[in-house]
Amino acid sequence: MKRILSSITDGRGFDIGLVSLPLAFLFVLSGLPLVYNVVMSFQEVDMFSLGSFWRPFVGLKNYIDLFSQPETWPILLNTAIFVTASIAGQFLIGFGLALFFWVNFPGASWLRGLFLVSWVMPGLVVGAIWNWILSGDFGVLNFLLRETGVISGNIFWRSDPDYSLWAVIIANVWLGTSFNMILLSVGLSGIPKDLYEAAELDGANALQRFWTITLPMMRSTIGAIVALGLIFTLQQFDLFAAITSGGPNNTSNVTQYWAWDLSFRQYDFAKGATISVIMIVFVMFASVVYVRSTRHEVRG
Amino acid sequence: MGIRKYVMLGALALASVSLPALSASAEDVTINVWSLDRDIQPAPNLIKDFNKLNTGIKVEYRQIQFDDVVSEAMRAYSTGQAPDIIAVDNPEHALFASRGVFLDLSEMIAKSSVVKPENYFKGPLASVSWDGKYYGVPKATNTIALYYNKDMFKAKGLDPDKPPQTWDELVEAARKLTDPAQNVYGITFSAKANEEGTFQFLPWAQMAGGGYDNINAEGAVKALDVWKTIIDEKLASPDTLTRSQWDATGTFNSGNAAMAISGPWEIDRMLQEAKFDWGVALLPVPELGAERSSAMGDFNWAVFANTEHPEEAFKVLEYFVSQDDRMFKDFGQLPPRSDIAIPATGEPKKDAALQVFVEQLKYAKPRGPHPAWPKISKAIQDAIQAALTGQMSSKEALDQAAEKIKAVLG
Repeated sequence: MKRILSSITDGRGFDIGLVSLPLAFLFVLSGLPLVYNVVMSFQEVDMFSLGSFWRPFVGLKNYIDLFSQPETWPILLNTAIFVTASIAGQFLIGFGLALFFWVNFPGASWLRGLFLVSWVMPGLVVGAIWNWILSGDFGVLNFLLRETGVISGNIFWRSDPDYSLWAVIIANVWLGTSFNMILLSVGLSGIPKDLYEAAELDGANALQRFWTITLPMMRSTIGAIVALGLIFTLQQFDLFAAITSGGPNNTSNVTQYWAWDLSFRQYDFAKGATISVIMIVFVMFASVVYVRSTRHEVRG
Repeated sequence: MGIRKYVMLGALALASVSLPALSASAEDVTINVWSLDRDIQPAPNLIKDFNKLNTGIKVEYRQIQFDDVVSEAMRAYSTGQAPDIIAVDNPEHALFASRGVFLDLSEMIAKSSVVKPENYFKGPLASVSWDGKYYGVPKATNTIALYYNKDMFKAKGLDPDKPPQTWDELVEAARKLTDPAQNVYGITFSAKANEEGTFQFLPWAQMAGGGYDNINAEGAVKALDVWKTIIDEKLASPDTLTRSQWDATGTFNSGNAAMAISGPWEIDRMLQEAKFDWGVALLPVPELGAERSSAMGDFNWAVFANTEHPEEAFKVLEYFVSQDDRMFKDFGQLPPRSDIAIPATGEPKKDAALQVFVEQLKYAKPRGPHPAWPKISKAIQDAIQAALTGQMSSKEALDQAAEKIKAVLG
């Protein structure tokens, strides 16, 4: 007894105590719901058995049913396109802006701050605004494209199966760009200035400096941003609800919206949980890649 | 621990049990009501009036959003936080009733001198029934009809007193009225991927001999083909596929569509917004003399089965029902009852529109009732959108929907 007590006041017991507290917290608030979700995907659940844990087990039936539905593969493909295009768009534009504001012109930091407005706005508000901008008949975007001569007839962004997914991607890129920009700006300001001075003296041009100094020095920042981007885009739900509702005919539907639709509009909670499990697998895979790619930086 | 301590503890425990009970009996019974009514709509106003009567029952109101009604109710019920009374959309009533989540009101209704089943229209009454018992009281009812812009009819050489009667006439009129140069579409409606899409399409299928359990009937295929013609020829905006009925009718009010298929909930807004002469006609039928049909919308009142005060909750419902004659006059909604003659409002357009809606209401059919209605509805929405976007033919799309619905119906 005394040994345990003394190990807490001075020794390993204190460390273990410190670690176990957040671990217990994580387990209760994230681990248990995760396990519950996986269990639910093997059960038959409807809205009235939602409150009890003991429900009929159906094995892999939910998974088999899900993959025999004609809309499943298109929706998985949509999710992949949405995630890839959103991350790429947010990152490229964000990086461009960060580099732009890195050149310290008067008012640069002030302007940069203003960009954060888009990140602060609630997703549903952003969705409602983009809903108007993208409207086919009276939308601002169509007006601009028409007046500048890019298009001759209106594009029905929300209702044309060829464009509906891209309508949400455009809005999501707009929403996430400023966050990327701020994080990348922080990364940029962390690079020592003398590195550039030395390179310049050695005769390296701007492009060479970017490839050999900026990018390598930013590696961990970029890794973190892509990982966060993956998480944020996989959670993106409000924009789908506000702009297309996953329509027309599921052409802009993605797994996260579909999981909600199945659970809370069709009351098929087991299927909703099944999709969530599939998403968990994807995120786990992505996080393993992320951890591996930045491992040497963590140690170094 | 000595014996005195036990006695003390016991006394404390007793006191803590009996104290709230005492204070509760001294106060009013509180009944919680949830509905989606805003401040100009019935629920909050009726509740305010009821609370003024000091009946020993205090009603508290919470407004919820249309999309959240079922999920909120469900979450509240499964965690034991459900309100006493809720207003639900009529096709979802069976979902709760069939699982015993709503209280069976049959006995109380039998004894009641206010709520009488024979007073109600058949459609709304069927939607609160399950297995021969009543699990709620219809709150209001509505249906859809064809609004049309009389000024535009005149301008395009159409007779403003002869709105289209059949599907062919409707498409023909829409062709004449469509005017891309003026940003005017012939017609506007909603084919959105939610319950609104089903609500708008089902009457068309029913008029031609289809139905939710027979969605790929020949007539239903023809109905969807008509919709497809309207969208393909741009007689209606392609955004019809993502626009709600409220937003779609907004384009009619602003003069960007010459006809609109929508319900009586638009009348008050139209009186304020529309700067032109308009009228309302019955929904066009496949051909003259064909069976009429219509969708039936609006909400029902229900009492949750786990309420602690069923008697008091029913008293509140009785008060709501006793005020049904105010529904149209004060709130512009149609009472679900055939025994209430709706008084003239003195606003000629409103009164004329109302007569059409009351006529249309005679043909209104409830959606379902079926406990798995959301799944049936989803299959229909997907079929509509697959056909309208040209991904499948109307026949293929409805065949697929029929297969999905068959799996749900078992």
